[in-house]
This record gives sequence, structure tokens and C-alpha cells, in this order.
Amino acid sequence: MSSFDSELDAKGLNCPLPILRAKKAIAALASGQTLKIEATDPGSVKDFEAFCKQTGNELLSSAEEGGNFIFFIKKS
Amino acid sequence: MATASNKRLSAPERRSSLITAAKSLFADKGFHGVSIDEIVNAVGVSPAILYRHFKSKDELYDAVLQDFSCQRESYVDTIVNSEAGFEAILRGITRVFIDSIVSQPDLLKIELYSILEGHQAHREFFLNRWKTFTDYIEYSLNELQSKGRLSKIDSKASALMYQGMLREVLLLKCLQQSEHLKEYSLEELLDKMISQFINSLELN
Repeated sequence: MSSFDSELDAKGLNCPLPILRAKKAIAALASGQTLKIEATDPGSVKDFEAFCKQTGNELLSSAEEGGNFIFFIKKS
Repeated sequence: MATASNKRLSAPERRSSLITAAKSLFADKGFHGVSIDEIVNAVGVSPAILYRHFKSKDELYDAVLQDFSCQRESYVDTIVNSEAGFEAILRGITRVFIDSIVSQPDLLKIELYSILEGHQAHREFFLNRWKTFTDYIEYSLNELQSKGRLSKIDSKASALMYQGMLREVLLLKCLQQSEHLKEYSLEELLDKMISQFINSLELN
């Protein structure tokens, strides 16, 4: 997964800030565009799963790389 | 007390019973105030059984903290369903946090002991829980200042003050059962606290 339209750095932040900032970033995207998020809070894995389930946006991938959690979310 | 039913517990059930007993004892006496003997006596097993599940008291304490973090509050509902405003979200996440503390006051007691006992990793666990508020407030106040809706204030110090007020309300209402301010329920006190905090910011 490498292609994205917008990027959000949520490293060092605890929930709810990564979710709140992702919500704002996704609002600025057009339908079908993708947001990449980098976070360090381990709880963000469950949080972004729940966020996508509730908002209808698609969680394209969720991965851990060197202690960072990387998410790609496609706007519905 | 050792019973026949204790002996029938599966390994995960036994592990869970040790964590539950340890949680309650750590809350009442702190990490240093509790011996392995007390924990095994509370569950009715031998120390050997405990050491089969946990290599040390430290490892058991970590498991207790891990157990709390598994019941971590979810703020996703609040964020997805709240209006976008600072106050609405602050009220929402405070409510989620308070509900979590009210349902498990042991967490608050263990936090107080961890502050006194000075164990770095334990302190960081609890500081991390409060970061929910300090991060959100600091970020939001900086954002409000950049939009000109708030005069220049120290957002980091403001976040810390909110944390202090919230912790005091929790201590007063969840642990101390104090006569002081008994005319207010927890909900009323929280409502006043948040309103005063918001008013003090003089947002325009």
C-alpha cells in the first residue's frame, strides 16, 4: 500500500485525537480518495477499525512498522 | 480458601482469578504493601501455582495494568457522533472516562499508590491514560488560538489544570465519600467544573 491522497501524522498522540484529526482530514477528501495515518498509540488499531465500521469508510490496511501503526482509509 | 472448585479452574481462569485478587490487594495496599503470600491466600492456591502463571510480583502487577488497559475506554463513538465543537467533545470524552473510573475505582487507588511508590513504568501507564485529556485540550486550544477565537494562553498548563480538577472531583466523589460538597452529585459537579473551565477561556 503506497498510494494516498492525504497524510496525517498522529504519532505521539492518544485517542481521541488521532480519530478526531482523521475525521477532519477525511471530511476534506473527495469520495474514493485515500488518507494515510501514522500513529503510535497501540489502541489506535482497534479505534480505527471501529471508526471505519461506524463511518462506512473503508480501512484498506492496518500495519505495524517499527513501533508505528500505519493505516490507509478510503473515503466512502 | 482452597476449595474443590478452585482446583477445577482452567489455566486461563486461574490466571484471571489471580489477577482479580491482586488488583484488589494492590488497590488497598499498593505494590510494596502486598506480599505474594497474601495474594495466594486470597485465591486459595500455593505460591507455586502463582509462579506457574507469573514469574514475579512485578509481572503480576504488569498483568493487572494490562487487564485495565484491555478495558480501555473507547472514545470513537463520542468523536463520530459529537458535534465538532470543543466543548461538546470535551464533555463527551470526560463522560466516557468518568464512567470507566466509576465502574472500576480500584484503578484510581492503584494510580495513587503508583505516584507515591515512584515506579517509572507504572507512573507512565497512568500518565498515558490522562494524555487523553491533556492532548485533546492542548491541541484544541492551540487550534482555537490560531483561528483567533481564543486569546493567548498556555494551552499545556490549561490542559494540566483540567486534569487536576477532574482528578480532584473523582477523588472526592469516588474514593473519599466526603461530606464536603455532598449537596452535588458527581454529574452536577462535573457539569459545573466543565462549564467553569469553558467560561474561563472566554472563547469568542
